[in-house]
Amino acid sequence: MTPASIAPKSIAGRLALMFAIATTLVSVLAGVAIFGFQSLELRRHQAEELNARMEIIDAMIRHAGDPKRWPMLGDKLESFTPANGGVRYRVDCPDARFRFAPDDALARARDGVDLIHFDGRRYMTLTRRVPPYLERPEVRLVIAADTAPFDASRKVLGVGVLAVSLVTIALVSLLGWWVARKGLAPVDRLSQRARALNPNDLGLRMPTQNLPTELVGLMTAFNGALDRLQDAYERLASFNADVAHELRTPLGNLIGQTQVALSRPRDTGELEEVLHSNLEELDRLRCIINDMLFMARADQGALAANLEPVSLAGLTHKTADFLDVLFEDAGVRLEVVGDGMVAADASLLGRAVTNLLDNAIRHGVDCKTVRVTIEPQDGKVCLGVRNRGGPIPEAHLARLFDRFYRLDRAREHSHDVHGLGLAVVKAIVTMHGGTVFARCEDGEVLIGFVLPGGTVASGEPQEPTVRRIEPVQA
Amino acid sequence: MKILIVEDEPKTVAYLRKGLTEQGYSVDFVGDGEDGLHLAQTLDYDAIVLDGMLPGLDGVAMLERLRQTRQTPVIMLTARDSVDDRLRGLGAGADDYLVKPFSFLELLARLQAITRRGRGEATTITVGDLHLDLLARRATRAGRRLNLTAKEFALLAVLGRRQSQIVSKTIITELVWDINFDTNTNVVEVAIKRLRAKIDGMFETKLLHTVRGMGYVLEHRPDGSPE
Repeated sequence: MTPASIAPKSIAGRLALMFAIATTLVSVLAGVAIFGFQSLELRRHQAEELNARMEIIDAMIRHAGDPKRWPMLGDKLESFTPANGGVRYRVDCPDARFRFAPDDALARARDGVDLIHFDGRRYMTLTRRVPPYLERPEVRLVIAADTAPFDASRKVLGVGVLAVSLVTIALVSLLGWWVARKGLAPVDRLSQRARALNPNDLGLRMPTQNLPTELVGLMTAFNGALDRLQDAYERLASFNADVAHELRTPLGNLIGQTQVALSRPRDTGELEEVLHSNLEELDRLRCIINDMLFMARADQGALAANLEPVSLAGLTHKTADFLDVLFEDAGVRLEVVGDGMVAADASLLGRAVTNLLDNAIRHGVDCKTVRVTIEPQDGKVCLGVRNRGGPIPEAHLARLFDRFYRLDRAREHSHDVHGLGLAVVKAIVTMHGGTVFARCEDGEVLIGFVLPGGTVASGEPQEPTVRRIEPVQA
Repeated sequence: MKILIVEDEPKTVAYLRKGLTEQGYSVDFVGDGEDGLHLAQTLDYDAIVLDGMLPGLDGVAMLERLRQTRQTPVIMLTARDSVDDRLRGLGAGADDYLVKPFSFLELLARLQAITRRGRGEATTITVGDLHLDLLARRATRAGRRLNLTAKEFALLAVLGRRQSQIVSKTIITELVWDINFDTNTNVVEVAIKRLRAKIDGMFETKLLHTVRGMGYVLEHRPDGSPE
């Protein structure tokens, strides 16, 4: 295990560490328990051994009441005592004739089972009083056995338990780390795949097949994010190309016509004409650049300041007043239904409505009425501009609000339209925290926006306010 | 009418100076804020055209210091189309602002507005044989009443008040319809076309002229020079 893998940052390391801690706890508990029980068992075993000896000796002296026979008993006890002193005997008696006392130290042993130290060794003792018989008074019989063999057994047992525990801990930790690594292998594979993601191959996606279920959701979400990024990236790229194209056309005109004008002497009138034409192109450039800057601000998340209560119907009427001549020229009348109040920058929103109406007039097909409906919608206010036209394919509808997007490529170089009208609408609506929409319904095109908040001016359904276009006076 | 231009971009200074001088203004210019502040504090100007981004003392800082002693009208020019800059400029005491790239005509219009120049309080206007009665809202040409709609009359009045001056589409939009944003529509062109049909249609001498790329002029040109 490398130090890095144990670092809490690695999941495999963390899991291995947790396995190790868990195993250590279990091993220590088990080890202590085994060692404790075994020690007790050894102790019991030793005591039993002493007890067995005691029964034998007890039987020997219980019915020995004759002092003449006692030395023979002493010899027997002597022969029972091994040379290494592993087992020792002592018989205490007030009457000196019935004594067997090779080691004074044994006299210290208390009745029953006791532990005493002498000769640098540890002895377990068993002491019993044997009742008087014939001439012999009561004697105190002590048997001592050296605990060294049992202590050695305990030591071996302890070392064994400890060694087994340590090996178990090490093994389980290693295995844990290995298992975690194995379990996390799909993550490693995903990391490798993710490292391959780059702007040159935008279509690359993370695999979602053969993945653990825990990762499928994450990867699906991740791929969704990649989809959106790819979309934005491609839009930006095509947008840059569009900008270059839009600017190149007027620039080309400017350079070309200026060069032509200067290539030979010309009178003032001709030169003036060139300057006027240049000015028109320059003004077009200025408009495009201003709109682009404006939209860049909206993209950066700028929000409209100077908010005031604005009546959408009022704003629509004011805008329609401005566009009056265009409505007349197109032979289109305007119908405004409903009203709603929003908090908005009136001037900005006016521009959005102007562009929507202008767009409706411009792109209507066989259209006699442009209908503006303003209605509350889940606490928001929705303004829709409806005209006859279309049908517009779904793919185009989604892109109507894109910069420089034109349904009709042939109109590309029309002077009036620079293809930013609806993009500006979207930017303005975004700056007010709203959303734009475009739909096709029954041969009608409905384009508009939904703005948040605002109180509805009147709960009562309103009669459509119809502006009749007066006939153009000759 | 004395104007001070504080601007460090030589080409901008050159054309502003030329254009404003030709419009009858007497123009001084300096290239940085320190000198600008000094001149503005020591001489009496009718208006100051102040660039927001200057080397050394920047426009807003200069304006803040100027406002401690003087109330000379100031038009700020800001290169960045950012709300903060505008608010900072207006907060520091600018009377108006223009976002670069701006149109010269617009600068001229705003200068006239803040110096109260060219705002005749006349109630009648005469351009050649065209007469406007602003109180009665009546227009006649060669003695014949012209049948104008309210907006057409307003448009004619805007041009008449500035007769012989080029009036840009932006200014027309603002003054006639109270719309103060770029619209990218051809409303003004269409409205002018209609007005022209009514005031010039039946007459030999044309009064309403188009200056391509700039705007419109209401002017009597006795020699009948072409547009």
